[in-house]
Amino acid sequence: MEQNACIEVRGVSKTFRDGGRSVHALDDISFSACSGEFVTFIGPSGSGKSTLFNLITGLSEPDTGDILIGGQAVGRRTGLVGYMPQRDLLLPWRSVLNNVILGPELDGQSRRAARQQARELLPLFGLEGFEHAYPDTLSGGMRQRAALLRTFLTGREVLLLDEPFGALDALTRRELQRWLLDVWQRFRKTILFITHDVEEAVFLADRVLVFSARPGRIVTTLEVDLPRPRRSLSLMSDDLRRLEADLLSALEAGNGA
Amino acid sequence: MMRTGHTANAATPAPHAAGLVLLVQDLTRAVILSGAAGLVLLLFALGTAQLVNEARAVDNLSFEDIFPSPGEVYDAWELHQDRLLADHIPETLWETLAGLAMAVVLGVLIAGLMDFSPLLRWVLYPVLVVSQTIPIFAIAILLILIFGFGSGPKITVVVLFCFFPVALSTFSGLQSTDPELLSLLRAMGGNSFQLWTKARLPAAMPSFFAGLRIAATYSVVGAIFGEYITAQVGLGVFLKRSYSSFRLDQAYLAIILTAVLSLLLVLLVGLIERLALRWYYTSRRRSWRGPGIY
Repeated sequence: MEQNACIEVRGVSKTFRDGGRSVHALDDISFSACSGEFVTFIGPSGSGKSTLFNLITGLSEPDTGDILIGGQAVGRRTGLVGYMPQRDLLLPWRSVLNNVILGPELDGQSRRAARQQARELLPLFGLEGFEHAYPDTLSGGMRQRAALLRTFLTGREVLLLDEPFGALDALTRRELQRWLLDVWQRFRKTILFITHDVEEAVFLADRVLVFSARPGRIVTTLEVDLPRPRRSLSLMSDDLRRLEADLLSALEAGNGA
Repeated sequence: MMRTGHTANAATPAPHAAGLVLLVQDLTRAVILSGAAGLVLLLFALGTAQLVNEARAVDNLSFEDIFPSPGEVYDAWELHQDRLLADHIPETLWETLAGLAMAVVLGVLIAGLMDFSPLLRWVLYPVLVVSQTIPIFAIAILLILIFGFGSGPKITVVVLFCFFPVALSTFSGLQSTDPELLSLLRAMGGNSFQLWTKARLPAAMPSFFAGLRIAATYSVVGAIFGEYITAQVGLGVFLKRSYSSFRLDQAYLAIILTAVLSLLLVLLVGLIERLALRWYYTSRRRSWRGPGIY
């Protein structure tokens, strides 16, 4: 169990072709995260963060370097981590309940048992009473929560969240950030979280990895030593602002500014 | 005429000479365009004259014969309803429904094969298109030689009419599945079969039903067409006999019955679609407007 919760990325580089042009997306990326850590990734657009997630999910392979999950090399094996893309990508023809059990279903588990487990979690994810609703009838915040529940119900120990709150309004985003921390502390998953928002990166993370512009390198690792649970921003606003300032200057340095 | 683009070139003659060339070009274009428009008008006038002359020349039928009153059409229904309800309509309906069902299975199968393999797509697509360019009449005669005079050739004609819209629209539906959604399912560990059953097939359903609605509209006409060539029972043969005995009241009756059957079939498909794609209509409840008669 403890083993499975670990992800190790060693010296990963990736170049891909985009319309005849070769794009050097990632250069010598190394980091690891274990047992219920929350790591956020921040960097300019096109710094290869989503490419890195594609490598971790096994959708594509690194040119050099290794990715280990629970001590096993990923290679081209998919389904080792839970993954939530920028768009919620809920299946429009399925009810909320049938959407969130997609992971167990793809694993070949009993749908009935998965539904039972999902029903128990619906209140925590604010979806109680909406289990039979179609995704298109839900608000943006509810759709993201449903997509998150789908990701949690995959039962994987490492979860990749690619800008899950990017498209939400500021108020909803703030609310979902706090809620995500609650959920995460309850389940103790290892979360890798991409964001473009400096405050979000610091508020959520144990550690922030700052990416440079293309080719993506990790320029700085920022340890966030703010106490948890982090319910109220105001209680720690001074520390938060200091870390945000550090992060911004690291970002600017990485951008070559 | 602001055509001064080429006159700035040093190699062209003096400006007034270039102006003359442009004038000739413009005049030529005007003559050709008005000539083409005139030709279309002339052909339209000649064609109309031909129709009017021929209609006047054939005087063995009165206006009343050609356009019977609704009462006369109803009388024809009274006279023939037993035979129509017992034999003709059931036969046409059987051919239509059997043909449509076979067209759906065949169409979805072809769409699936084309979606599954680029090689099959490359092979099948031209065959599909060519199959639609062959005159159905020629094939229908051939089918009678193969199957005889029973329902077989008619069912096959319905299939030929109907499988194409089903195959084409289902194929485009399968192809239009959101690639990011497919990536997500793969990232979650889904295999190709699961991608098919859980994403591609459901995503193709709205397109499939769009094709099925077109097919349903064609299907009754297909059956009538098959029967018209040769048959013992069916609305098509009823129509043919009506024409050969100059009973236009009966012919109108057959036409109306064909239209009613088609309409009922399209309504039925619409109903099935509403039930099957509840998600599709639920999510578009606010913006979606039903297209009237469907």
